[in-house]
Formats: sequence, structure tokens, C-alpha cells
Amino acid sequence: MALTVAPGLGMVLRNRNLRLLRAAAFAAVIAAIAIVCLHQVMVVDTDWARLGGFAAVMKTTGRFIGIDWSLLPLLVVPVIETLMMATLGTVVGAILCVPVIWLGALNITPSRHLAYPLGRLLMTVSRSIHEIVWALIFVSAVGLGSLAGILALAMRSIGFIAKITAEAIENVDKRPIEAMQATGAGTLQVFRFAIMPQILPVVLGVLIFEWDINIRRSAIMGLVGAGGLGLTFHRQMVMFNWPGVTTVILAILALIALGELLSHHARKAVT
Amino acid sequence: MAILEVRDLRARYSKGGREILKGVSFSVEADDFCAVIGPSGAGKSTLIRCINRLVEPDSGSIVLYGRDVAQISTRELRQTRRHIGMIFQEFNLVNRMSVMDNVLAGRLGAVGTLRSIVKLFPRGDIERALAMLDRVGLIDHVDKRADQLSGGQRQRVGIARALMQDPKLLLVDEPTSSLDPKISREVMTLIREVAREFHVPVLCNIHDVQLATEFCSRILGLQDGVKMFDGPTAALDRRKLDEIYAMEVL
Repeated sequence: MALTVAPGLGMVLRNRNLRLLRAAAFAAVIAAIAIVCLHQVMVVDTDWARLGGFAAVMKTTGRFIGIDWSLLPLLVVPVIETLMMATLGTVVGAILCVPVIWLGALNITPSRHLAYPLGRLLMTVSRSIHEIVWALIFVSAVGLGSLAGILALAMRSIGFIAKITAEAIENVDKRPIEAMQATGAGTLQVFRFAIMPQILPVVLGVLIFEWDINIRRSAIMGLVGAGGLGLTFHRQMVMFNWPGVTTVILAILALIALGELLSHHARKAVT
Repeated sequence: MAILEVRDLRARYSKGGREILKGVSFSVEADDFCAVIGPSGAGKSTLIRCINRLVEPDSGSIVLYGRDVAQISTRELRQTRRHIGMIFQEFNLVNRMSVMDNVLAGRLGAVGTLRSIVKLFPRGDIERALAMLDRVGLIDHVDKRADQLSGGQRQRVGIARALMQDPKLLLVDEPTSSLDPKISREVMTLIREVAREFHVPVLCNIHDVQLATEFCSRILGLQDGVKMFDGPTAALDRRKLDEIYAMEVL
């Protein structure tokens, strides 16, 4: 009995020690990288003299504390505008998604070697370009204001909505599809009766999710002139009205929180 | 005249794969309830699916009412499929749709695309669907979602859907494999009854030989893609049955 137990125990202990050694080495490497990076950023690259020292930094931060109550009535329209931008941006994006989804889903794409890669490329491009960049593109194309914001949100939303929907379509149960084909149904009918009912909860879920994210995006886009609360934020900044800036930030926060609440309940109702 | 005449049917599942059907020939008459039996891998399911080209045959002819299904174009195939009803092993219903919508889907081939997209089926179709559901005993479940039904009930929805097509031929692929023995008998009884009522010949793939001999008028025995037996049920004896099942191809 002792002869069979001893080698087993020894092996387990050796494995354990090896694991601990490996973990310690890994932690040491990460710590070393972190120290080097922090040193470079905080000690070497930061101009502490210009910042004026810790006390000065605290004083500057302190100026932002406080709410500019007189600003509140002026926020009503921008809030509505931001919500409207997010909603319209999501809707337009969803409509523009349709051809992209058709191209980018393996089981319904017209060509696996040409159309499908094109579809996936369009999705990737949409998601790779940051919303601020999209906003800049459209502000220069159609001018300042919420139209630029709506178009920018639409273009940015295509990627995610199309990706999730296309993947949902690729994962449908094929048996109802087979049954519909066997009745002599056409392609569109097969899609409407066999595929759509299966993907509907996923599609509605992703639309609500994207709407929620678009509220945040539309608030930020205002910084580059695309309308909504972001524009108000920018105005307060250039007027050096620090409490005003804080007020706008809080309004954006409240809006995002509201959006999150609504989308949470909407998604529950749908799935 | 035979409703369906199949000559030298050959098929494989994928290009360059193993040949599943190796030159099968048979015919189905107007009043036949024809069972296709044989060991696993014999090609029973492939045979059924070749008739409406859910599986594309390699060669051979499949003549339905004088028209060779194997030769027709995609558009003509859609029209032909309208007249071939199919009942599936796993029911193949749209789970999130109501029983009513599932049965109405049987008319998709006949209703225009635009009308069907908005589910605006003609009144006549709706009345017929209700009649079918009543016939299969599901009139109390019309508005239920398909996934709220039991297995036997779902298969009956499948039967109603196939009958909605007013089919000239019923293809049945292992209708009872997903059901328990008692429900299996009920389903087979129902299929036999409606086939007689609506004067539709049936070609049924079934692996339960007992059910096959009890409900079907003709037997087609397949082994490894080759027809081993073709005749009335009464002519199928122990020896012939052993021949068909001699080689289990898994």
C-alpha cells in the first residue's frame, strides 16, 4: 500500500509546485511591464511642473463641483434631440442592414466566395470606424446638426446588428426550412415562415441593445457638432462654465441610465 | 396508370461520396399505401427525399403524373412540390408559430408571395385549415404555439399541413420514430384513414416492420441501395424479410 501511495503523492506535490512557480513567474513579468509603462507615462511623459502640483490639480477639479440650475430648462430640447437621434439612427441603421445581412449569412448569401466576404467586410468596416470619425465624415458632408448624427449612428450600428442577425440566421433549425421548401414555397416565403420566426427574438434584442448604446454615442457626437447634448456640453466648455459642464454630464448620465432601464425591460418582454 | 413511376434511380448524398441508391425502380398506384423498409443506411430516407428532390438524384427518372421530376427546372419543381405533401420524422413545424399558421403554411405554394408575407391567407384556405384541424382532432388547439403541443399532436399538425396542399402524393419519412408505440399506432391509423378519404397514394419510409405490415398494402424492401422486395404485404414472409435485413449497413 505504501509503495503505491508514495509515488502518487510525490507527483501531485511536484505538479503543484510547478504550477505555483509558473504563476509566480507570470505575475513577475506582468508586474515588470506595468512598472515600466507607469514610469514612462507618469514620471517621464507627464509635465508635473505645468500641472502645478497636486494641490493645483485638486483646485481645478474642485471647480467642476456644483450644478448650474439655470441651465436645466435649456437642456430639454437637447435631451429630446439626443433621444431622437439615437432612435432614428438605430432605425435607419437597421434598414440599411438588410442587404448586408443577406450578403453576410452563409446559408442565404447568393455567393459564398464573393458576396459573403463582401458582407463580412462591410460589417467590419462599420464597426472599425469610431463613431466620432463617422460623425466628422457626415458633419463635413451634410453640415452641423442632428442629421449628421443620425447618419453617423446608422453607419456605426450596421456592423453589430448585421453581425448578430447574420449569425442567428446561420444557426437556425433547418427542419422548418426543409418543410416549407417541400410545400413549393418560394425563397421569400421560406424566409418569412421558416427563418424569421426563429430569429425574431434575437433581432429585437439586438435592436434594443444597439438603441441603448446609441444614446451614449449620440451624446458624444455632439462634441463634433452633430447635435444633441454633446453640442451643449461643447458650448459650456468654451464658455468656461464649469458647473454647467458638470450639469450637462449629469444630464447625459441620467439619459443613459434611463435608456438602460427601458432597454432592460424591453428586452425582457421580447425574449 | 401508375401515379408515380421511378426508373433506375441513383443518388449519393454528396458529390463523390458513397452511392446510396444503386438503380432503384418501382411504381406507386392510385390506392397504394406503400411502405419502404430495410436496415439503417439502406437508402430509405434518401429514396423518399429524391421524389421531391430535397435530395438531388444523380440519374434515373421519377415520373409523377407523366412529368419527370428529375428533369424539370427549379420553377417547375416548386409548382410540382405543391402537389406533393410531406410528413417528417421530427414534424418540422415552426415552433414559435401557432398551429393555425403552421397548417396554413401548407398553402404557401399556392398563395402569392405578397399575400403570404403579411399572412393574408384567403378565407377559403382558413376554412379548409379549420376543417383539416378538426379532422385530425386538434380543433381545440388552433391558437396554441406549436411547441406547446405533445409529439403526437405535432405530427398531426404535420399531417394537416400536408393535406392542406390537396396533394397527389404523400411522402412520409419515418412518421413514428419520434413517438411512443401507442401514439405511433394512432398516427399510422390517421395517415391511412386520410389517405383513403382524400384518395392520395402514400410512399412511407418506416423502420418498424410490424407497423409496416399492419398498415401498408405494399412493401418495398431496400438493402444497401438495392431493391430486394416489391410486392403486396401478404407476400412478405419470414425468409424474404431475413434477406432484406441480412446485411446491417450502419
